[in-house]
Amino acid sequence: MERQSLKRLQESIESVIKGKSDAVKMAIVTLLGKGHLLLEDVPGIGKTTLAFTLAKATNCSFQRVQFTSDLLPTDIIGVNIYNPDTKEFEFRSGPLFANIILADEINRTNPKTQSALLEAMNERRVSVDRRTYRLPEPFMVIATQNPLEYHGTFPLPESQLDRFMMHLKLGYPALEYERQVLFQQASFDSIESMEPAISSEEILRMQQEVDAVKIDDSLVDYIMSIITHTRRSDKIRLGVSPRGGQFLLKAVKATAYYEGREYVTPDDIKGAAPLVLGHRIILKAQTYISDAERIIEEIMSVIPVPV
Amino acid sequence: MPSVIGCSMPQIYKFLTALLASTGCISLVITGEMNPIMMITGIGLFPGYYRFLRGMAPAPKWAVSSFSFLTLIVFFFDSFVISNDSFLGVAHLTITFQVIKSFALKEPWDHLQVYFMALLQLIVASELTNSIAFGIIFLLFLVAFVSAMVLSHFVKEGTTGKVRFRAPVFAISVLALFFTFLFFVSLPRVSGKIWGKSHIKSIRTVGFSERVDFGSFGDIKADPTVIMRVELSAAEGRPYYWRGMTLNYFDGTSWANTLEKVRIYKDGELFMIRPFRQEDAIAQKIFLEPMDNEVLFGMSDIAAVESAGYSMATDFAHSLFLPFKKGKRFNYLAYSTRDSVPVAEKNLLRYLQLPPGMEGISRLAKDITDPGDSPDQRAQKIERYLMRNYSYSLSVPQPPDGMSPIDDFLFNTRKGYCEHYATAMILMLRTLGIPSRIVTGFFGGETNDYGQYIIVRQSNAHSWVEADIDGIWKRFDPTPPVSEDVTSGISLFLDMIRMKWGRYIVAFSLFDQREIARFMSLPFRLPSMPELKSLRGTVLVIVFALPAGLMLVWVIMKSLRWKRYGPVTGYYLRVRDLVRKRGGAITPFSTPADVSREAVKTGMGSGISEFVTLYEEHRFGGKIMTEEAGANYKELFRELNN
Repeated sequence: MERQSLKRLQESIESVIKGKSDAVKMAIVTLLGKGHLLLEDVPGIGKTTLAFTLAKATNCSFQRVQFTSDLLPTDIIGVNIYNPDTKEFEFRSGPLFANIILADEINRTNPKTQSALLEAMNERRVSVDRRTYRLPEPFMVIATQNPLEYHGTFPLPESQLDRFMMHLKLGYPALEYERQVLFQQASFDSIESMEPAISSEEILRMQQEVDAVKIDDSLVDYIMSIITHTRRSDKIRLGVSPRGGQFLLKAVKATAYYEGREYVTPDDIKGAAPLVLGHRIILKAQTYISDAERIIEEIMSVIPVPV
Repeated sequence: MPSVIGCSMPQIYKFLTALLASTGCISLVITGEMNPIMMITGIGLFPGYYRFLRGMAPAPKWAVSSFSFLTLIVFFFDSFVISNDSFLGVAHLTITFQVIKSFALKEPWDHLQVYFMALLQLIVASELTNSIAFGIIFLLFLVAFVSAMVLSHFVKEGTTGKVRFRAPVFAISVLALFFTFLFFVSLPRVSGKIWGKSHIKSIRTVGFSERVDFGSFGDIKADPTVIMRVELSAAEGRPYYWRGMTLNYFDGTSWANTLEKVRIYKDGELFMIRPFRQEDAIAQKIFLEPMDNEVLFGMSDIAAVESAGYSMATDFAHSLFLPFKKGKRFNYLAYSTRDSVPVAEKNLLRYLQLPPGMEGISRLAKDITDPGDSPDQRAQKIERYLMRNYSYSLSVPQPPDGMSPIDDFLFNTRKGYCEHYATAMILMLRTLGIPSRIVTGFFGGETNDYGQYIIVRQSNAHSWVEADIDGIWKRFDPTPPVSEDVTSGISLFLDMIRMKWGRYIVAFSLFDQREIARFMSLPFRLPSMPELKSLRGTVLVIVFALPAGLMLVWVIMKSLRWKRYGPVTGYYLRVRDLVRKRGGAITPFSTPADVSREAVKTGMGSGISEFVTLYEEHRFGGKIMTEEAGANYKELFRELNN
């Protein structure tokens, strides 16, 4: 049942984002695992489309925030505004109060705003003038960053990268799809009018059920040895944090759930680990995060798979 | 693929149960204490377990209960009336129960009952025999028992796959052996048996009691039973005279020992019989089989003995008696010297005693010797005379009525064996006024090159003469030499194993434990503390062996945890190997999906994805494999295998 509705969700997203089924799958998995997604790629590849389609297909409210260097925390969280009629301050919520938020070019904004966003991502609530407001559920931030432009950016520190469950690269579409894209009149209106494949309540229920997915002790040991290997590797300056491990566990459970299983298999771990751990390590020779993913794969190629 | 491994697990489990029941019953049979009825009953195991292994229906309930009831009645009757020995009664009862049970195995609990009874049978058997065959049966039992226990765990889990349990079984067996060994070495040995009295048959000997009937040696001279084994400290020329005890009083038909015994106590490590210099002494490590006498043997003449015990008895003839060694295996170290033993007794009359009717013998003695001869010359003449003019024979007819056996030997048949020769010589010496006595013991023995020791058998039993020649006890042996049979190499080799078994397993004693403790504590005794000597060794054993044992347990527990899903993983691993053999890129780092993909690449059957799914479901999904799933799993494996 769940498997079917998830399949439908995937299909309806893929009707818009063509030829990216792995990325779509991992985006759904992140949503199921109550995580946030970091998309990194060159502009014009469909990052925004992916986020918007995901929101529409799951019948979630969607907000897009273009992160610029002059963006202030209040611009995303919201502000208290004096209401002359009631003579009281009223909270006017910002764009953060939505189910799925696209934080476009997150590395362009100042650290103050970045940290406000990341704090909200972690705690799923915001405080304004000593009052706390819960963010809606499900709540997922899809942040994008451009890997090539460094001028005038504020790269996210490790502690903040750590809060994203997964780091994805979309990559260019395959040739035959790109050909179609050329002729496609990309319009958000058509996505706007898309029929949701699944309700946001269903997503919430599934998020609960993911926690019940079983994981064998030997696989927990497998995860542990991957993590400890990242700390020991001579190519890595900073290994995976315990929070990284928590996210990996969450992600593999969500993967298993997505596949319609009640238990985790070694393949779930092997598939998710590079995406979940890649952005959490710092290499001795810092280059791109995709290198880090390769290093994680290298590490996994020397740890025996439990049988 | 070996067929046993190819069997399904429940089948092997059944086989092990049959094996355990058999080891239990066989262990009792090899003791030789079971009567023919029990042996025939025991054969009932074969049809019983044949039916069981073939999966035939168990016997009806009423039959089992009535037979069991009957057996119980017979047991009480047997224990208190027939064999009048509740110990043997228990043995009989367990055999009968095992047979009944073999026809009625249904519940898992029944298997445990069989194991318990088999264990009981082994315990009983251990009291009845010292045989090395028992040791082999015991090892078999141990391995089968551990395997059955591990398998029972798998069978209970409901897994039906083939077996991949050799490693844990091996590990547990090693552990069990290790702890058995540890307990064996370290448990305090107290004398006496668990059941109060020893049930082990001792070898019936003659010649080593206070009274020895004349002519009794003839019966045992053909008996090849091993009496003792001796390791010599240094090469020592033949002939070997293993002195037992002396007898001095002859009443015409039997010899008796009338010497008083005195108790001697340990002087340091040794029982000192007479002073000696250790450099001159021949040290003999002697391993006695269980015998029905109290005598300690050794090369003539024993000067000191190192052994277990706190006191022993000796007499003026330096014979040694240790009452508690009767009926037991016993080992000790004897020191003997070659120098002659002076006659210490003042009263020599008891060595000159003669039975009535010695006229003929007296005449003969005078004929053989010259009046001017010294006692030594006389004795040598008599010895030579007997040796040359009489023939050795074990078949000596009963003397005619009214004739003493010695007169019959000397003047009538002119053939006899050691007892005749020695007695005749002593009587002649005594008529000539030379004090003399008969010595019983063993002569010769076969050297076993495998273990560098000497085997002395019942057939080596011998008697000879000691005479007072100028204040010295001198040995004379008038019996003509007899050629000894040569034993085959194989039996000598087996005898060596038997000796080690008897020495290090059966006769392992508190004495040995002290020796081990002493050895272990050597490096710690530099500031010598004698009162703590043995204690320290034990502490050392515990300090080293305990952590080692615990570590082994830990490793095994860990490996068991990994192997818990046994057959499910086992089949998967075999499929993985199969894919690799067919050229698939399989490493220990391959995931199930990799295996599946590679299998398809190498053109294996379509069942692979279903197989891998089943594997993941049961291995990682925590699902218990049902009969059908198990059968399906196996079937898929078979298809992939083809």
